[in-house]
Amino acid sequence: MVIRVNGELQTIEKEPTSVAELLALNKVERPDMVSVQLNGNFVDKADYASTTLAASDEVDFLYFMGGGE
Amino acid sequence: MSGFATKSIHGSHTKMDAQGTLRPPVYDNVAFEFADAQAIQFAFEGRSLAHSYSRVSNPTVEEFEHRVRLLSDAIGVIAVSSGMAAISNVILALAEAGTNIVTTRFLFGNTCSFFESTLEPWGLEVKYVDMSDSSAVAAAINANTRAVFLEVITNPQLQLIDLEALARIAHERGVPVVLDGTVTTPYLLKSKDFGVDIEVISSTKYISGGATSVGGLILDNGTFQWSQNPKIAPWAAKFGPNAFLALLRREVYRNMGACLSPHNAFLQTLGLETLSLRIDKSCANALAVARWLEQQRPRVVRVNYPGLESSLYHCLAERVLPRGAGGILTFDLQSREECFALQNALTLVRRATNINDNKSLILHPASTIYCEYSPQEQRAMGVSDSMLRFSVGIEDVDDILEDLQRGLAAI
Repeated sequence: MVIRVNGELQTIEKEPTSVAELLALNKVERPDMVSVQLNGNFVDKADYASTTLAASDEVDFLYFMGGGE
Repeated sequence: MSGFATKSIHGSHTKMDAQGTLRPPVYDNVAFEFADAQAIQFAFEGRSLAHSYSRVSNPTVEEFEHRVRLLSDAIGVIAVSSGMAAISNVILALAEAGTNIVTTRFLFGNTCSFFESTLEPWGLEVKYVDMSDSSAVAAAINANTRAVFLEVITNPQLQLIDLEALARIAHERGVPVVLDGTVTTPYLLKSKDFGVDIEVISSTKYISGGATSVGGLILDNGTFQWSQNPKIAPWAAKFGPNAFLALLRREVYRNMGACLSPHNAFLQTLGLETLSLRIDKSCANALAVARWLEQQRPRVVRVNYPGLESSLYHCLAERVLPRGAGGILTFDLQSREECFALQNALTLVRRATNINDNKSLILHPASTIYCEYSPQEQRAMGVSDSMLRFSVGIEDVDDILEDLQRGLAAI
């Protein structure tokens, strides 16, 4: 299936795929450092493993660690 | 991997060190390089996860934060330069001029000073209530209240509060509970299980592994709906359940600059690995010392330790602190002069202002931490001129008792 991650199209081979698996696919080493929106709704961390993705879903990862001098 | 000690030692192996070291090295650096211009742009915009500058994040500090998160079940942890930095960051993030916090007179002296002397002139109202009086807490909370703040166990009054009951009152009114859990740490009390939303800890104490370094921790238990706080609501719209952490990481904590140094983070991660062993020993010693002091009447007028059967808080302590009632006790003699004489006769126990060190420490709070307050104010804070605070270390308990015997003989 094809979904959109942070605005970019991404093809996912495995179905179903959970939010937790998508984080791993995208090499997110610190899931606690990212907010995840699925089709505009926030996903609680406790639900990452049980929330599965469907074709055409839009997923946004938003990290809150950046910044500097 | 479910045991506290196991998790504190092994962490969760989120990252393999480049050299395969079993103990990650200290990344004692400032800046991080990026492969290209877009990569650094994405990091700043929050579109990728990367360290950019050590005042904001650092791999060694991250390892410490991650280990604490694992032990506490918090959704996020931010390590800071001291316990007071943890408190100041949290209050500055939650509140602003024209709002208030509800707290108690039973606070660490510097916390009280921060609220009254530093924040009140900036327009924050500080409301003091008896935290054991639920109707007083409920009456003090209004539409402008941004936090209920308390310590468990309070230092040096050693008061215990029913956190679950307090959290119900605060949450019914849309206010988060902020707990200073320095003397309990997640080993003695996992604050998330008792309705606490934010926990601050001075990791200088138990966690540092024996007064090795100064540090602090902010834990977000992920239990509060941040859209209820007008200041944080815009962050909730963007970051959802991570709103408070995002506000800290991308604004308050970043701008305050009270970051934990990588070297201190390394020392404190080492300290975490033996935390449960040291706390078990400290609590066992504290209970033994408290019981011994109770037998020394009339020279010892009163002993205060929540683990004692004679304590007002004994039942509550048994319920919420099954692993031990902490390593601090207080006892009263007849006068300040007797307190000083006892202290001066000790040869093992150190006269120093710290708590939860590996070493046993003794202090006369009225003439030290609370010296800037009048006797009347001290009484309101539960501090008397005839009281000594004893932070029980992890020495052999017979040696501690022998030293106390020497001290009592001198009065």
